[in-house]
This record gives sequence, C-alpha cells and structure tokens, in this order.
Amino acid sequence: MQPVQLFCWHFMAYPYLDKDFDKSGHSGWVTVPNKLWDNNRARGLYQEYIDQLALADRLGFDGMVLNEHHQNIYGLMPSPNIIASALTQCTARGKIVVLGNLLPLHMNPMRVAEEYAMLDQMSNGRLIAGFAPGGGPETFNYDVPSANTREKFWEAADLIVRSWTDEGPFTHEGRYFPLRYVNLWPKPLQKPYPPVWIPGSRSPSTMIEVAKRGYCYFLSSRSHGGETHRAQQEFAKVLEDHGDKYHPFRFGILMSTYVAETDQQARAECEEGVWYFLKNCLKGHLRKEGRQLTYGPGVPYIPAAAWREYMKGYQPGRKLLGDVENWEELEASQSIIVGSPETVARRIGALIERAKVGNLLIQFQLGNMPDQLARKSMKLFAEKVAPVLRQDSAKQFTSEFPGINIEPSAQAVQ
Amino acid sequence: MSGRILDVNGRKVWLLENGGGAPLLYLHGFADVHAVKESWLPFHDLLAKNSRVIAPAHPGCAQSDENKDIDTIEDVVFHYLEVIDALKLDKFDLVGHCLGGWIAAELAARHPEKIRKMVLIGASGLFVEGALIGDIFMNAQPEFGSSYATLREMLFASANQVNALAMFPDGKGEIEDEVRRYQMLRLSSRIGFKPPYFYNRPLRNRLHRISSPALVICGEKDGFVPRSHGETYAKLIPNSGELKVIAGAGHSAHVEKPEKTAMLVTEFLAK
Repeated sequence: MQPVQLFCWHFMAYPYLDKDFDKSGHSGWVTVPNKLWDNNRARGLYQEYIDQLALADRLGFDGMVLNEHHQNIYGLMPSPNIIASALTQCTARGKIVVLGNLLPLHMNPMRVAEEYAMLDQMSNGRLIAGFAPGGGPETFNYDVPSANTREKFWEAADLIVRSWTDEGPFTHEGRYFPLRYVNLWPKPLQKPYPPVWIPGSRSPSTMIEVAKRGYCYFLSSRSHGGETHRAQQEFAKVLEDHGDKYHPFRFGILMSTYVAETDQQARAECEEGVWYFLKNCLKGHLRKEGRQLTYGPGVPYIPAAAWREYMKGYQPGRKLLGDVENWEELEASQSIIVGSPETVARRIGALIERAKVGNLLIQFQLGNMPDQLARKSMKLFAEKVAPVLRQDSAKQFTSEFPGINIEPSAQAVQ
Repeated sequence: MSGRILDVNGRKVWLLENGGGAPLLYLHGFADVHAVKESWLPFHDLLAKNSRVIAPAHPGCAQSDENKDIDTIEDVVFHYLEVIDALKLDKFDLVGHCLGGWIAAELAARHPEKIRKMVLIGASGLFVEGALIGDIFMNAQPEFGSSYATLREMLFASANQVNALAMFPDGKGEIEDEVRRYQMLRLSSRIGFKPPYFYNRPLRNRLHRISSPALVICGEKDGFVPRSHGETYAKLIPNSGELKVIAGAGHSAHVEKPEKTAMLVTEFLAK
C-alpha cells in the first residue's frame, strides 16, 4: 500500500505584530484592529508564503494545503482559492488541498462549485476539494446564524457535488439554496469528481455524514494525545456501520513541526515563531486569554441535546493549546513536534503508528518564523524525515490493511 | 404552579400556568423563566395574584420542540398565533421581556384586536439608528475560559449582583440550567443574529397599528437594549404613556426590581 501522504499546510499568519501585542488586550480574531496592518512590511508577504508552498512541491511533498479565515492574524486567506490559483501556476506535481471553503458563508454555493472546477482544470486534476462549515469566529465575521449552519452546510456540499456529477441544467429545490438553473461550466477534470475532505472535531454527526458520502474525514484538532487515536477508532466504527471499511487515507490530521540539525538547535531556532503562534495567532481561538470564539454557547451550532452531552464533560477553565506556559507542556500536547530529524521522525512515526492516519497535514511556518528557517526546516524534513515515515508507514499499512488497494501517487522527488 | 405540554399543530409547547382571573400571556427573555430557570420568578408570582399567567417556552426552549423552519421573527409570530388558538384565548393581556417583548410588539401590530393591554419590559425588536442592540452572542462566550461577567453586565445593572451571579454563574452551572441558557441563545441566533441584531426594521413603522393601551418599561442601566428603544416604543405606540424607567435596574428589571416592576404592571392592568 502507498505510504503516508505528507502535505505542507500554510496558514499565512500576519507576522508583524509588536512584541507587546498580547499585553494590548486585543484578540487575534474578529476584532483585531486592522490599523495594525503595516503595508511597508507586508509588501511581498504573500509571495514569500506562496514561494514556500512552491518549494514544498519541489521537495516532493504530496500536496499543499490552504484554508479560509477572515478578519484575523492567524490566517490571511479570506479566499484560499486565490492562493490555490497561484499554486496551479507555480507547482507541478502536488495536490492542491483547499480545506476548505466555508460553505455557509457563501450566498450561492455554485460559486464554490465553479471555482473548484476551475482550479481542478487549471491544476490538471490536482485539486482536493475541502468543504467546511466555519467555526465561531466566522459566525461573527459573516453574520451566519449558528443554529442552521450545519443544515446549510450539508445542503451546499451536496449541491456542489451534484453539480459536478449530474447533467445540467437541473433545478435544485433546496431549503436554503433553491436554484432554478444549475448548469456547471466548466466541469472539474477529475472523475467522477475531485476528492472531498471534510473537517470535524469528533462530533459523531459529522462523521456519520462523511461516512454516508464516502468522503475523507479530517480531524481539525491541533493536539494529538489519545484523542487522535480515539477519533480514528470512532470514524472506523462509523464507516463499518455504513458498510464501508476504514483505511488510512480516509483520515487526516493537522500538526506542526520544526526540524533542525539537533534538538537544541531546533528549539532555539523556532521558539520565537512558536510562541508568536501560540500567544498571538491562537488568541481568540484556542486560548483562554481574552475571549475564545471558536466554540461555546454564543455560537450554538450543535443541537441542545449534543450540548447537554458536551457540558457533562466540560471543564471550565481547562487549558487550551495556546495556554501552555512552558516548553514541556507544549511537548506534551503533541501539537508542535520540534527536534532533530531523528526525534521528529520518531515522534511523528509513533503518532502515525498509533492513529493509523494516512494523510498528515503539516504546518511548517509558524507565527512570525522567518522565511529562511521555514525553508530549512521543510528541506530537512523532506530529506531526512519523510523517507523514514514513508518507509515505516508503507510497511505498517500493508500489514494492517491487507487487501485494500489505493491508487499510488507519484513517487516523491528528492 | 403547574406545567404542561400544549399540542400546537403537532409541535409540543411547554408552558407554565399560575393564578386566576383575566388571562395574561407572558413571553420570556434571557434572564427569565424557561431561559435560565425551570420555575417562576418572584415577578411572575406577583403577577399571578391578579391574573391567570400563562408562560409558554419559546420554540426550542425548555421542553418546547425546536422548530427548524424558524428563520425570522415572522415565523415566531405565526407560532404564537397558533399557540393563542390552541389556548383558546380570545382577548388577553400580553407581557414580554426582551426578545419576548419584541414578539409581543410584532403580535400586537398584526392583531391589535386580540390584545387587551400590553406591557413591554426591556423589549428588543426596533432599529434605532446609532443605538444598536448589544451583541449577546459574543458576550455569551466566556472570557478567560470561564467568566461570564460581560454577559451579566449586559443583562443586569451590575455583573456582580447576587441574582446575576445566580442566573449566569461563572464556570459551569447546573447542566440543565446550562442547557436552558444554550437553547435560548440557539433560538435567538435564528432570529436575532441576521439581520443584526434583534430587530426587524419595518416594525417601527407598524407600531401605529397597536390599539391597546401599552406600558413600556426599561431598567435605568440597560446594557443590552439602549434606552432610546424604550423611548421609541413609548412614542410610537399610540396608546402608550411615557417610558417608565426602573431606578437601579439593568436590562432585567423584572428580576432586579420585581416588586417595583410587578406593581407598575399590576396597576396598569387594573386601571
């Protein structure tokens, strides 16, 4: 079976905040004052980030990952499709994973269907189409009423896929997006349609909807303790309940890493970027400080019964990833894996082994990490970590999932 | 106090009923029966001395069925028309707080003939330029992982007063209380989040249709619905007196000053 697929995920953070940003009391999301945007410094920033993704393609990563965020310093891609479009022109092999377009934020889902179809054509069939419902911050960014977000999301996702597969024109008689003429021009290149990935955070209902449709489930959690393994088991069970079978490429996770020549050097080089990411980029999202907007009673998108279940286990004041106070706590979260190639290969290898995960979506550039360090880390990863992970995972997957054949992807170019 | 399920066109509506006399339909807000507590508040007990108080839980609140077809305030108004039919109410007094006040005003503008007298307490629902209703959704997200101080500040005169802390405690309250608060926010997000926030722009120009006498009340320090909204209601409802401002109260005057507020309401209804 094919080895683990290694993707390079770029969030495109705003890296020019002052050192005392955290003390300012501002959130990093939704209300972060845009007077902080500095044109003198930000000129060329997108190019720098796009070049890092183009480097990932040349280094043999299996793909590049982008996603959509609004009004924050965590990710400067209100429209990831614009960056994806640039990537179609400066990359040649890797998949272009847009994970994803936030469907409930769109007035008309056909815009997403059209742009994804264009990207699939422009990239010669390299698109992986991600659909996401958006979280709490996007609720505030775009005034999306929370209570019907999920229903809107699935209606939009199903309409998009139908527009890729069914002959048009047809009429969509939907609750939220009724359309008289659905007739997609252009159509996507991949048949029957580009792979679809859906993020979730272990909610059973999302897993069930993903399983029903045969899509890939992506765990959006950033920390990888026992939960990742549990999510894999839960999803495998849901697939079985739907007459399907789990294999590693039905599942993906997000993680971050930094690789340098030695453990000490790795920590020394990345620490500033890591803390910038944890304290600034996660403020408002995965941090108690200020106001966390991602999940809670103010963004009531799960049904009340599900909220009751959540509340039973809820521990107010529980530390989130951005609340870690020292390096040891960070290491324990297994979110950002830092070290020499040997250390990183061992730790990520153990994660793959336990979680049986075939799609590893890895963030290299963190916070305000300088370009040359991000590039160095990516190169070391590609040269010294990736081969180990690929070899070990191929062996593991072949023995644990016999009889499951996945179309092999192009071999990595070192 | 007795609670019961009312069947409304196949949907369950949970309601409390107490007292005797002329029927009084009470429509709840946030710091209120059904939305934070299972039982009546002292304010409702006081009203029940003179009226037959009927308080349904809004769709999706307490044990009332959720209704996924609710997109706008219009859908809630139709829901209540059916509730009124199911209760066989011909003409009744109508009292509403906050979101409940908004629903009351919308009902009264459409069916003035059904309402004997109307009371609005800290009612949302109006667009008043330059005086937006506050963002309860963002404030319902805890600060520092567990503090609801800014939410209490919106809903009460002070974040630290006893009744505010009892209804919206920091950290985690009783699970069922947490669920009630959540349900109320979930319903509110359907109708009060878009258009932003808690208003129906055309309502203002429909208020002249309300024919019943009306009493408009607000707290002195309402941090959620600005004073000008109460003033506008009082000015544009033809049979309304001056806005009554309850000293020392915030948005939830009926909770913070129950005797004073209940006395105003009772006197007005008895007049």
